[in-house]
Amino acid sequence: MSEAAFHALAEPHRRGILRLLRGQPRSVNEIAEQFDITQQAVSQHLKVLRDAGLVAVRPQGQRRLYIVRPEGLAGLRDFLAEFWPDNLQRLKQAVESGEPANDGA
Amino acid sequence: MAAGNEAVMAGETVTATVHIDAPPERVYEYFTRPEAIVRWMGDYAVLEPEPGGQFTVDVKGAPVRGRFLHLDPPHCLLISWGYAGSDRLPPGTSTLQVRFTAEGSGTRVILEHRDLPPAERAGHASGWTHYLARLAMAPTGNPGPDPGMPAPDAAQI
Repeated sequence: MSEAAFHALAEPHRRGILRLLRGQPRSVNEIAEQFDITQQAVSQHLKVLRDAGLVAVRPQGQRRLYIVRPEGLAGLRDFLAEFWPDNLQRLKQAVESGEPANDGA
Repeated sequence: MAAGNEAVMAGETVTATVHIDAPPERVYEYFTRPEAIVRWMGDYAVLEPEPGGQFTVDVKGAPVRGRFLHLDPPHCLLISWGYAGSDRLPPGTSTLQVRFTAEGSGTRVILEHRDLPPAERAGHASGWTHYLARLAMAPTGNPGPDPGMPAPDAAQI
């Protein structure tokens, strides 16, 4: 992991922001609503997270949404080498526990 | 479950496999029906299971975007895989091959994620998992004091 990533994660608000973005992509405004700090401060935190490669920006219409970069910490292949076994295990549980897959969302 | 569920990195491919106690026809649907795929991967999906159809899944905030390239139900799927907004793996750049073969009364799923860009540097394989565990401990909005972030030089575990 890069030093920039460690530095970025050493700040509690930045960890909170990353945790929030894991749930879904959000705009600066939406992020700021969740914290007791100013939008300007949130923007600065987001810049640090971007520079560290932990988040990216995705334009959506007029809005700029911040998203997690899944490979940000581990490197892309290391990330996927964990991602797929974990998810296949979830697949196994979903299918085997499963009612048939046509039960709606 | 390590025996049936392990990842091997070889070249620019990540491989993972699992045995599932259900017939291939049923397992296949968990890759092609939105209401089924979100039960194991992602929280939102738009799937068009036909050649060229979109494969859209949001996985924990990461926007996976791709297309169904080839479908051979219930034996094999070829899907392009990338992340919207990613400079490292943009949509269309890598390929996911999923094979479903009958094994006993169930199905062997063999997944190969191919055409990945070469690693930029030796990664820290446990980084993401370690970090997520820490995130899980942090209360919403007020993560509190740092619960022991390792110093940079402690990262080479």
